[in-house]
Amino acid sequence: MTGIVEFDASEQSASPVATDTEPGGSAENTGPRRESAEEASVAAAPVSSVAAAFAAPAHMTWTRVSPRLAWYRRLLLLAPALPVVVLGGAVVGLWWSWQWAGALAGLVALVVAVSWLAARSEARAWGYAEGHTDLYLTYGVIVRQLIVVPYGRMQVVDVTSNLLEQVLGIATVRVRTAATTVDPRIPGLRFDDAVVLRDRLATRSETFSTGL
Amino acid sequence: MHWSTVPFQVLLFTVVFLALPGVMLMQFGAIVFVSIMSVAALGATGYAVLSWSRSFFELNEDHLIVHTGLVRQLSREIPLSRLQAVDVVRPLLMQILGLAELRVELAGGDSGEIRLRYLSHGTAERLRASLLAHAAGLSGRTPEAPEWPFYRLPFGLLLGALTFRVPVLSAFALLVALLVAGYMFRELGVLGGAVPLLLGLIRGFHGPLLRYTDFYSSLSPDGLRLRYGIFQARMQTVPPGRVQAVRIVEPMLWRVLGVARVEANVAGYVGERQMDSSTLLPVAPRRTAFALVNELFPGTDAARVALHRAARGRSGNEAVGTDGGLVVTSHGTFTRVVEIVPEARVQTVRLTAGPLSRWRGIATVHVDTPPGPIRAHAAGRDIGEARRIVDGIAERGQGARMSGTGPERWATRSERPGPPS
Repeated sequence: MTGIVEFDASEQSASPVATDTEPGGSAENTGPRRESAEEASVAAAPVSSVAAAFAAPAHMTWTRVSPRLAWYRRLLLLAPALPVVVLGGAVVGLWWSWQWAGALAGLVALVVAVSWLAARSEARAWGYAEGHTDLYLTYGVIVRQLIVVPYGRMQVVDVTSNLLEQVLGIATVRVRTAATTVDPRIPGLRFDDAVVLRDRLATRSETFSTGL
Repeated sequence: MHWSTVPFQVLLFTVVFLALPGVMLMQFGAIVFVSIMSVAALGATGYAVLSWSRSFFELNEDHLIVHTGLVRQLSREIPLSRLQAVDVVRPLLMQILGLAELRVELAGGDSGEIRLRYLSHGTAERLRASLLAHAAGLSGRTPEAPEWPFYRLPFGLLLGALTFRVPVLSAFALLVALLVAGYMFRELGVLGGAVPLLLGLIRGFHGPLLRYTDFYSSLSPDGLRLRYGIFQARMQTVPPGRVQAVRIVEPMLWRVLGVARVEANVAGYVGERQMDSSTLLPVAPRRTAFALVNELFPGTDAARVALHRAARGRSGNEAVGTDGGLVVTSHGTFTRVVEIVPEARVQTVRLTAGPLSRWRGIATVHVDTPPGPIRAHAAGRDIGEARRIVDGIAERGQGARMSGTGPERWATRSERPGPPS
């Protein structure tokens, strides 16, 4: 029982961090606010069963990740797209005709444009909520997913941040359990938040720990 | 390790040496040949003796320490609280020489296995008993735990059940048809089809038949013990609480016979060993299969769990029930599969819905356990019901994990983890 009391205390101290995800830029603050507006509408009118099924657990809201995740995805997309357009366009243009080069550029531009828009909603789909005994996690636009990871089942909690993520100041918190069929992770957290979240999850995983 | 591995290794090395470069050396005359061969044999003896004297293991309180290697020395220290299963394996040659191999399974991927090769059979059995005693929290001098018989598979039933399967029967019918056609039309070309078919039949039929001949399972405080095989005699021990999930498979024709196969997820059995070791009962009456599941998950009754059919008609009789500490799913129109996961052993719970399912208002619930043949999931649930199932499992799972004391040191506990209240 003491463990739960402890956990409540840590939750209190942690909550400012969790809500204050994006202090910089007014545009970036729309994420959590939009969510609360949605919650209000949930209370007011009946929503679709899909939204209800993927809603945050009772008395909680999804903590959304940083919108920089969308930029991360876009940059990751541009990195191969630009050389394809420039080099591939030059090769096609010189060997065949510049019309085909234009077509290639147009095709790549279309793919980039679609993914550019998709990246936004993809980043918004990510969300997590820290329940009393479990971590709730949701993501996915096309295939929507909800993952419940009990704190006691977490074996390793780590933070990774590759070069591009470091430039954008974001990181991924990855949780490992004994089940290898799932890869619970939260990308696009601000680096400091990610470290705090990792420590919090690690502490709780110890509090709730049980044998395999 | 057993001393007899030394002459064995030397013999093996000498034979290989004789076969590869030895043949070429014969050109240089008998004296050169004999001297080089004896040098090679002596070198092999020296190496084998040295590496034998350097490889040893010790049992120290809660740890098994294994030292191996001469050039690259390796020493592993294994906490016995992590022990997932202990197997004694004896291929034919080892049986003749009176040797055995002891495999200690740990939860830790493909390398999470300790193989103690070539122990004498008695030593292997004693070590197995004392490893389990240590892991159970008793002293190493505890005599081997008593066991009581659970199920002995009659050879007739094994033979009959293995034959009475759609792929085997149809392959056999095809083979007969091919041979008859070939005989009638005096056409040797059918052999091109018949020979692979025959080999496939032998592989699919003989393999399990030889593996599971003389299958005997018993229950003991150490857990479930399985003994089977003639040419490769095996003895598996799965301690209590180490079975993460179970499934009962009933192929179409087996349902007529009322028999089933029981497979399990055990954290140590991954990769190649998953195929080898995850079958707990190869063929058993349906009632025995469920009785075993009840023994593995004490305080629960898998057969009593009420199953709820999927709301919208999907091909395959999808059904799920969460009751009395178990999550039970069943599917399959022809081959019926019942998957059973205790709520206390659930790792993560997932809810997924693709675009088409969302449009139809259905979703899939996945219950993840450590890797193995079982991936429990319930497809085609009404989306609201699916969320309630997920929340229910998550909620009760916490209680179930808390009421159980964990699988370590199972003997010194006051009582076994009961059902979640």
